[in-house]
Amino acid sequence: MAVATDNICVFILAENRLLREALTRLLSKKSDIRVVGASAFSPQVVEQISAAAPDVLLSDSTAVALSDLQLIPEVRGAVPGLKVVMIGMEAEPETFLRAIHDGVVGYVLKDASAMEVAAAVRSVAGDEAVCPPTLCLALFRHLATQRSQAPNFHFKHNLGLTRREQQLVQMIGRGLTNKEIASQLNLSEQTVKNHVHRMLHKVGASDRLAAVELCRSQGIFT
Amino acid sequence: MQKIRVLVANRPRLMRDLVLATIGEQPDIEVVGETKDEAEITELVERLRPDYLIVALDEPEIRPGLCGFLLGRYPQMKILAVAPERNSSIFYWAFVDIRTKRVETSELGILNVLRSKAELVEI
Repeated sequence: MAVATDNICVFILAENRLLREALTRLLSKKSDIRVVGASAFSPQVVEQISAAAPDVLLSDSTAVALSDLQLIPEVRGAVPGLKVVMIGMEAEPETFLRAIHDGVVGYVLKDASAMEVAAAVRSVAGDEAVCPPTLCLALFRHLATQRSQAPNFHFKHNLGLTRREQQLVQMIGRGLTNKEIASQLNLSEQTVKNHVHRMLHKVGASDRLAAVELCRSQGIFT
Repeated sequence: MQKIRVLVANRPRLMRDLVLATIGEQPDIEVVGETKDEAEITELVERLRPDYLIVALDEPEIRPGLCGFLLGRYPQMKILAVAPERNSSIFYWAFVDIRTKRVETSELGILNVLRSKAELVEI
């Protein structure tokens, strides 16, 4: 028997039974949407969702409230390609941003209509993101903050320098030559040169002293 | 058969849609009005005289005041405050004083409340 493959398969994950039941009823009326399961939160829910293999998970924001359990990331890991739409009960930027961090790509508020929820399901299934205008500003601001903090964050993580490269930059900062460094670390001078070359490339510095200053200014070492 | 007349006044649009989806197709229930504006509730109740009013329980602290006021004025009406985030909604009715009962926030929970009208009006 031929099976229709163009329907969007949706799993509804909601603590509130009315949400599960009435959303199932409403979405099932859409010719392009098929509800393949509905459940409240439980220890078995990841297995249930995985077995239903939906295209879209429609969840209430309890999943974010339970974000310590990493439910959404776990479900996304278990169902490759899964898109997650979340119904936010309140327009709280913090909840919204946590949802995005967990991998949610569609977010609607309880003031959305049932039609808008269905439209969000279709959008994420079509590789689009859905974000309420009232929360877009929070997203932009958050990203701007991240950007302004990015160099610090990046440097705090040592610019991707290996332990050896970090050790080298500190030794260079103490005024040691490649030969002296090689001697102290029991390495050949050529090996030290190679390490220094890679380190300069990673921090984007033109010479060793510039690299030292850059790392020092960002607190990699004092 | 006289239908059960319901005014739906859930402010959150989604919950209003879900409640309407639950009761809208029931042959014994008639939705006589709907509003998202709580300021309109008293006027609509006065005009439509529903058997039941369904409101949202998203602001629990103000619900007892509103429900007490409405039931004092319209003691024949009953009120179901539906919680969008919890599985427990609250049903209010007048019986000398105001009585409440917790009901499940589900399709069956809502329909049971509306259909138990005859039993509950025994006051």
